Amino acid sequence: MRLSSFLFEQVAAILRKDFLIGLRRRATFAAMMMFALTAVASLSLSTGGAFVEPKFLAALLWVVIFFAASAGIAGTFDDEAQAGTLPTLKLYADAQAILFGKMLYVFLSLTMLTIFILPIFLILFDVAVENFPLLSLTILLGLIGIAAAGTLTAAITTSATVKGGLFPILLFPITLPIFLPAIALTEQSFTGGAGDASSLIVVAAFDAILILASSILYDYL
Amino acid sequence: MIAFDDVNLSFGRRALFSNVTLTLRGGRVIGITGANGAGKSTFLKLAGKILRPDGGEVRLPEGKTIAALSPEMKIYDTLTARENLSFFARLRGKTLTAEEIIGLGERVGLDLETFGDVRAENFSTGMRQRLKFAILLSVDADIWLLDEPTANLDDDGRKKIFHEVRGAKANKIILLATNDKAEVALCDEIIKLPL
Repeated sequence: MRLSSFLFEQVAAILRKDFLIGLRRRATFAAMMMFALTAVASLSLSTGGAFVEPKFLAALLWVVIFFAASAGIAGTFDDEAQAGTLPTLKLYADAQAILFGKMLYVFLSLTMLTIFILPIFLILFDVAVENFPLLSLTILLGLIGIAAAGTLTAAITTSATVKGGLFPILLFPITLPIFLPAIALTEQSFTGGAGDASSLIVVAAFDAILILASSILYDYL
Repeated sequence: MIAFDDVNLSFGRRALFSNVTLTLRGGRVIGITGANGAGKSTFLKLAGKILRPDGGEVRLPEGKTIAALSPEMKIYDTLTARENLSFFARLRGKTLTAEEIIGLGERVGLDLETFGDVRAENFSTGMRQRLKFAILLSVDADIWLLDEPTANLDDDGRKKIFHEVRGAKANKIILLATNDKAEVALCDEIIKLPL
């Protein structure tokens, strides 16, 4: 990874540009938020206030985040390719700056999504979070992993003809090693567990691997 | 100096460039001409390393920057003219002042005092072309790749762009892909495709 102040400037410019366009078009944010809201509301109504196992609730939360994220991340590069701006961006910006600018944008979008959907989820399923710092840390690490894997997958599927279906198919196996410990940690945060340090390390290590692999692979796309 | 060393490129079974070896020197406008489909735009992409050849190598001078004007390279419709200019300049480490932005607009015949805060999606094709050329001027690159740069421009726009190209050529490598007679007349050297 080439890191320099110039690269950071490019990353910041791309991040700012993507937020400006995202806020003006609103379609991507709206799709993510509406998917998450619809999924949580329907799941909540279907359980009808019955007791749901914390492990099942933890899995539900991550399923909602994963599919809502899929709805938003898939267009990260494809929207630019469709608009014809991707060749221009690639000419003027360093490849690593494009990757990390987009990755940061995806991460912040997912953070906004989670801030929006988490309180609704907790209220509708009547979940009392016993260990909030653990939940926050788990969500933070999980979102970093989804952002890294999602950005790379979005870049890979940009040139595919059936990108809509291909994106979640490719993303799911890449993010599975994050989801399994993240679900276990989320369950512990619901039940008051102290948090399994080894699971946290696994998620953090996998995040680092995904970020590094994305940085290496993106130069070849 | 841009050097093509034994460059090969094919699309399917059709060989567009076979064992091309040539040198493109700076200080002049080099025109790339040829019939539709001869590979003019592809030649520019190879020269700018935007496209990798199947074989051989294209060598660019160390540390030189590239800017391009091409129908394939679009600007951001949802950003204003000012935001587009600032964004691309920022990618090349330049921060443009309000005066510099207006000055760039004047050089290409685009009134950015009036239209600076208008989104590019509301611009006519000719205004977009002028804005794209203003972006190219703003980054002050060493190598210009121009693909039909005055397409969709009126006489005033063409004159302004010709003036800028003539003024800039001494310190740059300028490649201009075209079949337009006026653009061809601007060139100091012509490479006719196929090679």
